[in-house]
Amino acid sequence: MSTLRQTYDRYLPVVLGVAFLLALVFFPFFESDSPYWVYVGANALFYAILASSWALLAGYNGQFSFAHMAFMALATYVSGIIGRETGIWAMNLSPWVSIPIGVAVAGLVGLLIGYLCLRLRSTYLALFTIAFAEILRLVLKAEIDLTGGPNGLYLKTFNLPFLEGLTRVASTYAPMYYTMLVVFLVSLAVMYALVNSKYGIFFRAVREDEEAAAALGVHVVRVRILAFVVSSMIAGLAGAVFHHSPGIGIIVPDEMIIGRMSLVIAMAVIGGSNNLMAAAIGALFLHFSLEWLQEIPVPDALMPWLLQNQARLEAWGLGVGEVGLKTNAWRMVAFGILLMVTLRFWRNGLISPILERIMQARAKEEVARGRAAKAGKDLADVDKLVVDEEANEGGQ
Amino acid sequence: MSTVLLHIAAQPLGVSGEFLLNLLIQGLLIGVIYALMALGLTLIFSVLGIVSFSHGEFYMIGGYVVYLFLQKFGPSLPRWLSGFGALLAAVLVTFLIGVVFERLFLQPMARGEVDRPNEYAILTTFGLAFFLQYVMLGIMGPFPKKAKRFFNLPVFDAGYIKATKATLMIGGINISAGRLIAGLIALVALLAMLYFMFKTWTGRALQATSQDRQAAAVVGINPMNMNTLAFGLGAMLAGLAGAVLVSVYSWVPWVGVIASSKSFVIIVLGGMGSIPGSLLGGLIIGVVESLGTGLFPDPARAQAYRDVFGLVIFALVLLIKPTGLFGRKL
Repeated sequence: MSTLRQTYDRYLPVVLGVAFLLALVFFPFFESDSPYWVYVGANALFYAILASSWALLAGYNGQFSFAHMAFMALATYVSGIIGRETGIWAMNLSPWVSIPIGVAVAGLVGLLIGYLCLRLRSTYLALFTIAFAEILRLVLKAEIDLTGGPNGLYLKTFNLPFLEGLTRVASTYAPMYYTMLVVFLVSLAVMYALVNSKYGIFFRAVREDEEAAAALGVHVVRVRILAFVVSSMIAGLAGAVFHHSPGIGIIVPDEMIIGRMSLVIAMAVIGGSNNLMAAAIGALFLHFSLEWLQEIPVPDALMPWLLQNQARLEAWGLGVGEVGLKTNAWRMVAFGILLMVTLRFWRNGLISPILERIMQARAKEEVARGRAAKAGKDLADVDKLVVDEEANEGGQ
Repeated sequence: MSTVLLHIAAQPLGVSGEFLLNLLIQGLLIGVIYALMALGLTLIFSVLGIVSFSHGEFYMIGGYVVYLFLQKFGPSLPRWLSGFGALLAAVLVTFLIGVVFERLFLQPMARGEVDRPNEYAILTTFGLAFFLQYVMLGIMGPFPKKAKRFFNLPVFDAGYIKATKATLMIGGINISAGRLIAGLIALVALLAMLYFMFKTWTGRALQATSQDRQAAAVVGINPMNMNTLAFGLGAMLAGLAGAVLVSVYSWVPWVGVIASSKSFVIIVLGGMGSIPGSLLGGLIIGVVESLGTGLFPDPARAQAYRDVFGLVIFALVLLIKPTGLFGRKL
């Protein structure tokens, strides 16, 4: 017989998970009158994929790549150039063919970089990737004939006839949003499968103590390269699909500036890089708040004061919009402070502890149930055991 | 003799020996500045055991401080005085930011209060870079700024060697005053820093700390203070490199990214934590970039590829000798 508390603990994660999924699925319908926020939603999903795949690499495997955005752009550019060139040869490959090629190239380059750096200490990967990312950007900017240079590369967009209907009922950006949602769910599923397999344990073993892991028979370099390649390919997939979707259709080299990369890292760290879901939720949440912070609405009474001081505000990089204060770069400063404070005081991020708390109650019960089964006790005693354990914890 | 050698070297490349010499000089001048910046990173690495990913942002801040100082005080002061004042201000500001950051964020790491200190070091310095970039974007805006040259050359004409305010001419080689002065200031700073590191008590205490923290503590050196000092000095050197270059390049808030990735190439090439390595590495990268750019077959793209040569060297070092030229074992 279970108490109310236990029922609550048992079903809370399920209920919250389903609610979260439903919110993601029906979001474009709530915002059907403002396509802008659906567009923001698709962007947020894009960042969520990047942040969680970065968390797979950094949080689970302890490797820091600053080239995540570079792999994203690399896959997109490769796919886009293939699409354009085959268009000239009248083969006209669909983006659905060129995207996997782009992702494969990103994986291949990841393998190469991994081979170069991952035999060494983790700092080398960070050093090399930061240089690689910046230089790839410069090359993409310089090779105008091939990449379109600073003005960007126009990409073929894909059409999804079965999603066309949604543009009428939901929003013009609905097809893009749903494509990103599918990529988001698929890549999370892949990453969860990986993390929960034996490789997930290898990842963490290597992170905690390389030598001990090696002594126990883990092939350290291979495990690291696997993590690096998988997360780079997921970044590439997210980038290629996002930029090929109707509503975007272009990529510019400046999308992979270090500032964007820092954004992804900040999202993953603030969410909690030791938990894929926390990083993803952190990215969704932070992307929406950053969009909202672009112009903070103020009460009407304050507007005249703002307008009066407009010149002074603009000298400091702020601005006055139609409904409030434009924050421009300063919202990112706030974000930077949040990142530093999170790092210093909440190493596990802000969202990950909440998720763990929700999951913990359920896990505790499962442990108790397992023990009871082992001891051959009647399953009816399980509930008592859980209560006992909680009492014990309280006493400690 | 050396000119003959240059001519011989220049023959197969299809350029004149003078052109090659010009490239070499330009490369060395910029290489000294790279070396100065890399020396800061080396100092931080050898004492704190971390690589600072905010090094480029101190470079950026140093440049902006000079720019702001010249804008505010430049008109009312004589040119050389405002130049010195600006350099001093840049050095002080970057030193202070470095010290404050170290005390707030890196001391807990040194005291062993954070898990997985390596990751923490990378992330927290990277976080500082993010923060500083956007602070400066907020204050200065996204448009490129360029400071005026803050020292003039003495004008003279000695036949073979001539100088106007803005250029020095030796034979057929023109060196712009901005670059020359930037290189000379960096050279002086480099020598002063080496003197400090090898001849003063504090400098030797820094080195002692980098070799063995506990042994240093036994002889009365406070390793925690040395950490702070090393980070402050490292930040200061990057700031100084930015301060001398702000009159050569135009300045945007993300100018430090390329600068820091160059310093990374240099410290890996020279060997992590090696002072002679970072000096030699800086000069090598400067010369390679200059020659690479000058001799690149397609001049339209050469400038854009200037920063790519460093990465090629980086990859080669990792492939062939990951410890670099003078590195200790990893």
